[in-house]
Amino acid sequence: MTQLEKRIRQSGLLIFTGIAILLLSLLWKHPLSFMAFLVVGCPLTLGGVLWYLYALATKEGSESKGSA
Amino acid sequence: MLSGANLTVMIAAISVLLAILVALRTDITRVRDGRILAFVALFLLPSLALWAGASEHMDRAKTTEFCLSCHVMEDYGRSLYVDDKGYLPAAHFQNNRIPRDRACYTCHTNYTMFGGAKDKWRGLHHVYVQYLGTIPKTGEIKLYVPFNNRECLHCHAGSRSYLETSAHQKSPDLLQKVSNNELSCMSSRCHDTSHDVATLADATFWKEDQK
Repeated sequence: MTQLEKRIRQSGLLIFTGIAILLLSLLWKHPLSFMAFLVVGCPLTLGGVLWYLYALATKEGSESKGSA
Repeated sequence: MLSGANLTVMIAAISVLLAILVALRTDITRVRDGRILAFVALFLLPSLALWAGASEHMDRAKTTEFCLSCHVMEDYGRSLYVDDKGYLPAAHFQNNRIPRDRACYTCHTNYTMFGGAKDKWRGLHHVYVQYLGTIPKTGEIKLYVPFNNRECLHCHAGSRSYLETSAHQKSPDLLQKVSNNELSCMSSRCHDTSHDVATLADATFWKEDQK
């Protein structure tokens, strides 16, 4: 597995967890469910998306390093 | 037709499935179609799901049910059912002058997360107090700032009953002062009975399904 694929896997797992928390939070109309979404679900999902974009942005560098 | 909540759940469900698919089968990104799928699963759909989720949560936070879900607010909810026309919130709630499912938010528009940064901070502080702090007694809860006439005038400004009622013609500049928020609608001897939770023990309550 390449470095890019590892990062894509990590990103996918972060997004999966974050969106799963979003889904669960929608089951309950309560301030705590809003907080769970805001404090846990949002950062995990955003982190996953940003990690994926970072993986894409650094793909060329890591690939050329690997081939050198 | 799909409601906003159902659409949000659908987007989030598809997003969660695609995210786990891409996470478990990263080898699909070795081909062009797989890379497109990864972009959709790890960027487009999660972004859309976050936006839809935030929008749905903000919408839910405007509901009366949400506001009254904290124990300390229960008496304020009960005050909406007082069988007395003098209770301003009760009269508005029972006569559908405000939407019942958004009764709190309709009059308290700058409350917690719907106001400025300070209101949002207060909202977070309320959650902290509710679960980790010392919850004040119901009667001790006060507004941070005096009630703004803007919330009343949002509906009443320009209406015939508001402009022509004799009490509003007591002085020539009364309506102007109210418009400028120099004279409060809630000031003494005007509409001064709002959520009078201290008197609820002696109050009679309207039962919605009695007729």
